[in-house]
Amino acid sequence: MTTPMLEIRNLHVRIEEREILKGVNLVVPKGEVHAIMGRNGSGKSTLSYVLAGKEDYEVTEGEVLLDGVNILEMEPSERAVAGLFLAFQYPIEIPGVATMTFLKAALNAQRKARGEVEISTPDFMRAVKESGKQLNIDSEMLKRALNVGFSGGEKKRAEILQMALLKPKMCILDETDSGLDIDALQVVSNGVNSLRDGERAMLVITHYQRLLNHIVPDVVHVFSDGRVVESGGKELALELEAKGYADFDSAAA
Amino acid sequence: MNAIVRLGPAELTLIEQLKNLGAHAEAERLTAAGLPTRRVESYHYTDLKALLRSVPELGTAGGAGAPHFDIPGTWRVAIVNGAIGSPIGAPHGVTAGTVSGSVLTERDDMLVRLNSALTQQSLSLEISGDIAEPLVIDRQFAGEAAHVATGAKIFVADGAKVTIVEVYSGSEAAHLGNHATYLAIGKGAEVTHITLNLMDKAATHFATNEYLISESARLRTLAIQAGGALSRTQLLPRYVGKGAYADITGLSLVGDGQHADITMDAQHAVPNTSSKPLFKSIARGRSKAVVQGRLVVARDAQKTDAKLMAQGLMLSDEAEILTKPELEIYADDVVCGHGSTCGRLDDDHLFYLMARGIDKITAETMLVRAFLAALVDPIENQSLKAALTGVIDGWLENA
Repeated sequence: MTTPMLEIRNLHVRIEEREILKGVNLVVPKGEVHAIMGRNGSGKSTLSYVLAGKEDYEVTEGEVLLDGVNILEMEPSERAVAGLFLAFQYPIEIPGVATMTFLKAALNAQRKARGEVEISTPDFMRAVKESGKQLNIDSEMLKRALNVGFSGGEKKRAEILQMALLKPKMCILDETDSGLDIDALQVVSNGVNSLRDGERAMLVITHYQRLLNHIVPDVVHVFSDGRVVESGGKELALELEAKGYADFDSAAA
Repeated sequence: MNAIVRLGPAELTLIEQLKNLGAHAEAERLTAAGLPTRRVESYHYTDLKALLRSVPELGTAGGAGAPHFDIPGTWRVAIVNGAIGSPIGAPHGVTAGTVSGSVLTERDDMLVRLNSALTQQSLSLEISGDIAEPLVIDRQFAGEAAHVATGAKIFVADGAKVTIVEVYSGSEAAHLGNHATYLAIGKGAEVTHITLNLMDKAATHFATNEYLISESARLRTLAIQAGGALSRTQLLPRYVGKGAYADITGLSLVGDGQHADITMDAQHAVPNTSSKPLFKSIARGRSKAVVQGRLVVARDAQKTDAKLMAQGLMLSDEAEILTKPELEIYADDVVCGHGSTCGRLDDDHLFYLMARGIDKITAETMLVRAFLAALVDPIENQSLKAALTGVIDGWLENA
């Protein structure tokens, strides 16, 4: 059996005295797209932050393996360089940092860590232009400070642009559909789908089924009270949409 | 009433030096009052009596005055240990010379009074027309620790345009500099005035910049304090003509053992003047940065528009940033305000940058640069901007 891209084993996480994740087990093989569905407050976003390495969370038990390597002791930047990418639910606005400067710094940080030379400015400009075109991102938007004054849809598109430029092995999309109208959802989904290949794995976190019409998953996991309570094919998402989450709560008890 | 003032070694040396130069009245005042303490409001956070432990001997002329800090494409005049170099090759429109004595308007302030009593000769610059090359006044300290007072009197003619840079630097010694600049800006003139304190970490640096801003004149200032154990830059803008405008800005970069103070006292004397003072401090290690900003709006100065902002960034647990805005408004139809923020780098910002693969130190540097962008970005001259960015980056890298 080949090494999965992401393997989460019995992950327990607390913030201060409250346990949020209560033994998460999840395996995402290479090349597959998995969805996590669950109601607000079930711990979905906590999972995405813990995977990306945000402080404030205490892992009390368990392991997270990225392509066979435990990443829990790594800094967020080391995880990113190792190929993990989190598309934020709420991308952070950073006044004073130009978007292009940021994109180039991120790209070069990753190239440097892989022992590659820095990207030349013309190559960089070309790469941004190409990826930006597909996502309807114009150069005016990229001239602004990072995410500052971006609409909700622009922020989400900018996240996918970063994903396209950085070419991660493992993408985690946290509620990427929130705040998007139908057209923007289509643009973002196309951007994500074009990054699917036989190697790259994705974990799509959402609480609406509609995103999964556009980004069709191989496996759907139902998340409730800090753990995965049910897994199945893409039809599980439709079942959830029809029945609601209540039926799955008993499985969590 | 007449409590006996105990004088410390610094005060005794100063009194001796004043007497030797024949400044007996000032010597008597200092004997009676001593250096200002925290009980004097304008020195509340910079208690000179406590902080100034000793005063070195008065400096004597010396040194060739090669620049410690060179900015390409500028014209430079050096003042080494108080001795004014012969200003040669001044650009067309610039007349350089000397004037005897000091340059500041009389004021009840210890640093101003000491500068006035101790300065023997000052540089004089008269500027007219559009001067493309920035003018650099390079005040240097050479050799052993020296006490030096200097002055520069600058007249910018109506409609002129010029960038003036003042650099303070010197040998590795506990120098004491007390400097003055008087800058009078004619009607409709545009002036950029940058001061850069790059003194040795053992030095004490005092500078007072007085600005007279005429009708429709525009002034941009940036006072950077990166050197010295104890520094205080006093900014005294006076808005004396209608439509006068100034961006008075300052930056203190302090590390272990440093205390830096920027004190502004702005006088809006006539109607329709405006200013946006902006002061930033970054403190790390065991250090202290002080910002005092005072806006005085005279009764006749209707329609004054002045907004004072102070922003501090603390990079260590031992760092201290003290901010004191003071608004004194006697007119009834003005827009005046002040704001202040102080804190650490934002954890969410840091996490976002790191989540894209940017290591912590690089991410912190990016955020600090972003914090400073508003001060450096408006400087038009590119080689000057690059030089100042270099100073800031150098400070950030030598953590």
